[in-house]
Amino acid sequence: MTDLNNKYEAVIGLEVHAQLLTKSKMFCSCANQFGAAINANICPVCTGQPGALPAVNRQAIELGVRAAMALNCQIRNESIFARKNYFYPDLPKGYQISQYEKPFCEKGSLTVRLKSGEQKQFGITRIHFEEDAGKNVHASHGTVVNLNRAGVPLIEIVSEPDMRTSHEAGQYLRALHSILQFGDICDGNMEQGNFRCDANISVRKRGDSKFGTKVELKNINSFRFVEKAIEYEIERQIDLVEKGEPIRQQTRTWNSSKNITELMREKESAHDYRYFPDPDLAPLVISEAWIKSIRSQMPEMPSQVLARFQKDYALSEYDAGVLTATKELASFYEQTAAQSKNPKASANWVANELLGRLNAAGKEIANSPVKAQQLGDLVTRIDQGEISGKIAKTVFEEMFLTGRNPAEIIKEKGLVQISDTGAIEVAIDKVIAANPSQVADYKAGKVKLLGFFVGQVMKETQGQANPGMVNELVKKKLD
Amino acid sequence: MSSLHSLDIQSLLAGYQKNDFSVQEVAKSCLEAISKKNPQLNALLEVSKDRVLARAAELDQKKSDAQRLKLFGVPIAIKDNILVKDWQCTAGSKILQGYRSPYTATTVARLEAEGAVVLGKANCDEFAMGSSNESSAFGPCRNPWDLERVPGGSSGGSAAAVAGSLCPAALGSDTGGSIRQPASLCGLVGIKPSYGRVSRFGAIAYASSLDQVGPLGKTVWDSARVLEVISGWDRFDATTSKAPVPSYSDALKESTLKGLKFGFCKSWLEGVDPAVQKAFENSMQLLKQAGAEIVEIDLPYTKYSLSVYYLIAPSEASSNLARYDGVHYGFRAPEFKDSETLYNRSRGQGFGKEVKLRIMLGTYALSAGYYDAFYLKATQVRKMIQQDFSNAFKKCDAVLTPTSPSTAFKLGEKSDDPLKMYLSDVFTLPVNLAGLPAVSIPCGLDDLRLPIGLQIIGRPFDELRLLQMARVHESLFGVLKHP
Amino acid sequence: MVLLMLSKEEVLKIAQLARLELSPEEVVFFQNRLGRVLDYMKELNGVKLEAAATVRHVPEDAEPFREDVVEEAFDREAIMRNAPALDEGGFSLPAILESE
Repeated sequence: MTDLNNKYEAVIGLEVHAQLLTKSKMFCSCANQFGAAINANICPVCTGQPGALPAVNRQAIELGVRAAMALNCQIRNESIFARKNYFYPDLPKGYQISQYEKPFCEKGSLTVRLKSGEQKQFGITRIHFEEDAGKNVHASHGTVVNLNRAGVPLIEIVSEPDMRTSHEAGQYLRALHSILQFGDICDGNMEQGNFRCDANISVRKRGDSKFGTKVELKNINSFRFVEKAIEYEIERQIDLVEKGEPIRQQTRTWNSSKNITELMREKESAHDYRYFPDPDLAPLVISEAWIKSIRSQMPEMPSQVLARFQKDYALSEYDAGVLTATKELASFYEQTAAQSKNPKASANWVANELLGRLNAAGKEIANSPVKAQQLGDLVTRIDQGEISGKIAKTVFEEMFLTGRNPAEIIKEKGLVQISDTGAIEVAIDKVIAANPSQVADYKAGKVKLLGFFVGQVMKETQGQANPGMVNELVKKKLD
Repeated sequence: MSSLHSLDIQSLLAGYQKNDFSVQEVAKSCLEAISKKNPQLNALLEVSKDRVLARAAELDQKKSDAQRLKLFGVPIAIKDNILVKDWQCTAGSKILQGYRSPYTATTVARLEAEGAVVLGKANCDEFAMGSSNESSAFGPCRNPWDLERVPGGSSGGSAAAVAGSLCPAALGSDTGGSIRQPASLCGLVGIKPSYGRVSRFGAIAYASSLDQVGPLGKTVWDSARVLEVISGWDRFDATTSKAPVPSYSDALKESTLKGLKFGFCKSWLEGVDPAVQKAFENSMQLLKQAGAEIVEIDLPYTKYSLSVYYLIAPSEASSNLARYDGVHYGFRAPEFKDSETLYNRSRGQGFGKEVKLRIMLGTYALSAGYYDAFYLKATQVRKMIQQDFSNAFKKCDAVLTPTSPSTAFKLGEKSDDPLKMYLSDVFTLPVNLAGLPAVSIPCGLDDLRLPIGLQIIGRPFDELRLLQMARVHESLFGVLKHP
Repeated sequence: MVLLMLSKEEVLKIAQLARLELSPEEVVFFQNRLGRVLDYMKELNGVKLEAAATVRHVPEDAEPFREDVVEEAFDREAIMRNAPALDEGGFSLPAILESE
């Protein structure tokens, strides 16, 4: 494939739908809440009853403006809500309130770090507001419609077709996800569909300026799948071109059990959505004063947190990067460090031990069985000499499996480090008595045997002796 | 007390204050009039005797409120495109047959808060699309002045209910003349408020940028009183103004025309019935005698009103009526094989011809390739029409026109040609396009003793002065004696 | 640009966009009526405009926003009671063809 990859390049653009973190829906006062009973959060407005009218949620606009700022977009002071007309059972009004000709912002950018270490900037074409549709659920007798999600506020973030590899697309998505999360704009939960991605992919011979026929990949619900699906799709398309077969304009979806993209539908005659300005809503005015006030309340962005971690906690850029990958992780780390008062050691424990263990268990930081306070507590106990670093790993494993506090585990398993001189000396005497020849060798000048004695003492004490003290006392005894 | 049903609001309120009669007596009188006359008129589609009497009894229990409430014990008919919780709401369409309102429109909630009694749901053209009430799926409504003739539309049932003395007042809705034209044809005072003066929440949308809810009554005072109750900002309608609402009815005492200028547009009178023209000229004389000045004005772009209106209104309607799909409420076709046929048949069978015509017209005007030439162009010419009026208001305080070019026509007379029907709204359409307030008041009878209406168009949110002008005219011309 | 009478295909295309099933008689009826009305509207083609501005119909002092507060001000059951068919608490209809 390498040769072919040199011959062709992919052109990738992403469209992300992000659900805004509001309490209520976009145009009515129903709860914006996941997991409620079917049709529990509905009212005349979001079910499209006759005579019902929309009223714009101010907070949704503020969150959208935050996203626009974080993505360096130009904000339009007066934008228009438009109706997108189409019939579908999950769309009770027969139109979706969206933005079309004049979205509230355009022309932004997002800079991401690639695995090569290089930084690359991708263009954001536009962001616009829209309301989510309900959900068609397949039931025993056909379809049933649940309108709980109908009218939930969304922003759609459309990128320029600037990405060339699945890795670039993946990194763009991760960075975008993180910005929305850090900004308290979207919770980013992909399983619940709160952060959804569609990808437009085409391939062309390197050097060509014209785009190839694009295929749309819909509803891919994890970063890894996005990368795999794009990877697969690029190869599929190159393969077709090589065989001299045409690429058809299609919508495809990722089948994660077969690891292939599958046809959803052929592009039928273009939709005629008959967009026009929604007469129920005045133009959306976002004044400079409002923009300023939103800017002043802007939460810390990932790049700012990264810089602060390096500065305040003396972390390496790498560690700080790992710990700011998600908002939850960054805040977990900060809580751990606050508890332990040892930011450096806390960084190691979170970035290496905890993340490694979570990864092995297939868990996310949000449902880590070890809480930040507990991990901070563990670090403190090492620092205070109560347990050794090695024992700490045993304790950590137990914490991870049971969720119990370190103190409890240490006490129950008798893992407290032996720092009592008398007890250690008893063990040393025992070891000396049992190894007369090594003692003789040591005294004859083979000083590197010190390690042997320390090891034996640690074994004798089942690893609980304070290694520093053992070292010191063995030396004292033998010298 | 058999004629309680024919009393106007002012007389009813006075009677309650003097304890001349109870709300229950008034309600019963209206219900009797309904059972006697409604079978012929077909003005009201639903009347709930139980609900009306229960409400009347409840009000009689709180007699002390009679002083405080602006519409205490006043029975009001509500056009059937305005929702009243638990009452049916069909908008005159089969597609909403059996639909029970799950909530109450803001206008009706305000009427009820001021002591009004919802008497019944009034017949109307299907989805308010029509000028004769003939497009109602539940049969045409008839004009109490001549049962062979239409009451006008689309608020035909509202007008017939008041003119036929089934009740003293009614709510209608006006998108292109649907309150004023029936008011004119039935000899009533009908007000189309400034766009944004009255909440549309709970009024079934026809064309959202043009629709306004308003009153029909027998006198200027009655209509002014209802208007002041229903007006004002509503958090459920983002297009309502926050401007304070004056007490229109109280302000009528200070009505004068001294120093006021009325504009009229000569070219508008071409093709108008001679009787209408005569009554119109007579009204201008009356106003002049009362101290007003009459000036000629030019409204050059208003001649395109019909085209502009019949592009904008159907475009918005094609989207507003997309929600009637047989999935979430309303009529569902009995036979369908999949979701696609469920949609197409429910809508194909549920809507009447005029509604389907306008949906298709609007769909066409918004569709790819036609948007710029039709919808967009229409909104641009609409701007010029609005501009015409603001220029005119530099020269005058109000504009006078006949409300309708003719008096009530016979059933079926204009149903063969849509444009003939559309032309009956030629004087009222520009007002909605410009978002202005206007009132239609009786100004004469033709040779057949059919009422003629005068339209007074005011500046935006100038309802108070508009109604004072209407009041002066009324004091000079008098109130019609209804059949 | 506009013909006095629309073709049958044009009427059917519009009707499909608007999800309206029409009888053959209706198709002919609407061919005529739509044609008649659209023909009248041709008058707009020649209208000269000073500026291509569109109208703002919403009053300047309207309140554009609602605060982000959850309310249960409406009767949910009354909405569900109007459903033509319910199944497992949802609005029920036949299986959807994947056309959107």
